Amino acid sequence: MTTTPKGLSLGWAQTRALAANTFRESVRSRVFYILMAFAVAMLLFSAVMSLLTIGSRAKIIIDLGLTVTSFITVMTAIFVGIGLIYTEVEKKTIYNVLSKPLGRAQFIIGRYIGMMAVLAVNLFAMLALLGLLLLLFKGFTWKIFAAGGFIYLELAILTAIALFFSSVTSPVISAICTMAFYIVGHTSSALLESLAPRISGPLGKKAAVWFFHLLPDLNVLNVTNLISYDIPIAHGFTARAIIYTAAYVTLLLTAACMAFSRRDLV
Amino acid sequence: MSSLAIEVKDLAKTFKGHLSIGRIHALRGVDLAVPTGVIYGFLGPNGAGKTTTLKVMAGLLKPDRGEAKLLGVPVGEKRARERIGFLPETPYFYDYLTGAELLMFFGRLHGLGKAALAEKVPALLRIVGLEGKGDLPLRKYSKGMLQRVGLAQALINEPELIILDEPMSGLDPIGRREIRDLILSLRAEGKTVFFSSHILADAEMICDEVAILASGRVVSQGSLEKLLSGEVRFWDVSLSGWSAEAPLAIGQVVTRHDGQLLVRVQLEDDVQTLLDAARSAGARILAVTPHKASLEDLFMSQIPGGAK
Repeated sequence: MTTTPKGLSLGWAQTRALAANTFRESVRSRVFYILMAFAVAMLLFSAVMSLLTIGSRAKIIIDLGLTVTSFITVMTAIFVGIGLIYTEVEKKTIYNVLSKPLGRAQFIIGRYIGMMAVLAVNLFAMLALLGLLLLLFKGFTWKIFAAGGFIYLELAILTAIALFFSSVTSPVISAICTMAFYIVGHTSSALLESLAPRISGPLGKKAAVWFFHLLPDLNVLNVTNLISYDIPIAHGFTARAIIYTAAYVTLLLTAACMAFSRRDLV
Repeated sequence: MSSLAIEVKDLAKTFKGHLSIGRIHALRGVDLAVPTGVIYGFLGPNGAGKTTTLKVMAGLLKPDRGEAKLLGVPVGEKRARERIGFLPETPYFYDYLTGAELLMFFGRLHGLGKAALAEKVPALLRIVGLEGKGDLPLRKYSKGMLQRVGLAQALINEPELIILDEPMSGLDPIGRREIRDLILSLRAEGKTVFFSSHILADAEMICDEVAILASGRVVSQGSLEKLLSGEVRFWDVSLSGWSAEAPLAIGQVVTRHDGQLLVRVQLEDDVQTLLDAARSAGARILAVTPHKASLEDLFMSQIPGGAK
């Protein structure tokens, strides 16, 4: 006779199975390899570019390399993330999964963890290649991995946003909304700075600040400049970024779980 | 412990109409009582509400009204899904997985470990006739093979209650017979099998009880024995060498071909009269076949427009 785990242990085993399946789905899709090939090409291009420019080659490779790494992984997070739930519903594969003894929240969390694992592999592979290029140009620094950590935090937020929209609407609307959040996330602090003085009255100002806090501030996770100018990253800065990401992801995943729990799977 | 495998009371479900205009009443107060250890057929024409009922049972849809219990546990609770196996209509699976990987995945969702699955998966593939096909990716499976692997995943947790939505759909006659045999063997193990179908011949062959659903309501349910009273509805008498050209006084000629006659008679007494007349006319009696009410007759009499 076989014994099956109960309670928390069963819940974790199920979530892990869902995550592993999401990971397998991505690494067996052609899109994953096309994106990886594109990333490799872009990183090699950044190395070639460094040969054609004046100044520190390593700094240019770091600048361009980290930008390319961030862009490719962000695009992966957004465009794979928006299909994480919607595709399951559309392809009806979800019927079998949710007829098993697991909660819908577990399904959301499992898909999220799986996607984050895919992004971790993606990101690590790109950073490893960037590291090799830097070794080749005698400018290797471990700090690119620190920058990778901050990119990963941004990916965590963007994947949660994409997954939230995927659980409530179609991929096209999800893509538009997630892209909008991404753009606003990188401009919201500048927008607040420039708009706040023009808002009259304390109530309007307060409302603008509250609205700003609701939107993701992805600039708190951007350390590319610090790395390329070799400025140390303060521990407080890192701690703040981690806490901010954890809070934002928790909020979004809770909202996604609540919305998805109420949904009829017709 | 409940003696009913499935208990459904006054289940109602509406959906938004096209472009969110109006409401579609899929279920209008469905009542079901399915005893344990039987094969139960859930029959009805397309659009009757069979799949909607099954989806409520599997926790995929929330009813507007009413309640449903599986093995005494309200649907929607995880516990209700621990002891059941479910096969949706035309199952769709992750086509990047192989058949064996799919079963492993669903086994893990039931909390089964590697060692248990290493034994169970090949055994299940053998039971559903997919021995040696476990390493093929699902994208290479035919419709019938997908149906079989779907059945295998519904049995991975050794469920007490198996709910199948159109399990014979997409199968050839041999495949249908194998699934029928599998369902019969599940009942022999003491399990309850509840399946929806519009293939009445399959249901009539294996079901102990049936419910007929029409326009979101159960119009008839009970044991097949009770529903099909066993009374003979008419007899077909096959004769040869009947020389008389005149119309028969009793019965109705169904076919006349190569000197053979097929005569349909409604009353038992008339059969004897016809046979006497045939003998005295020098005809040979080839066969006398009584026709009892079939599930199809019952079905057609119960659904709107079916009696036409």
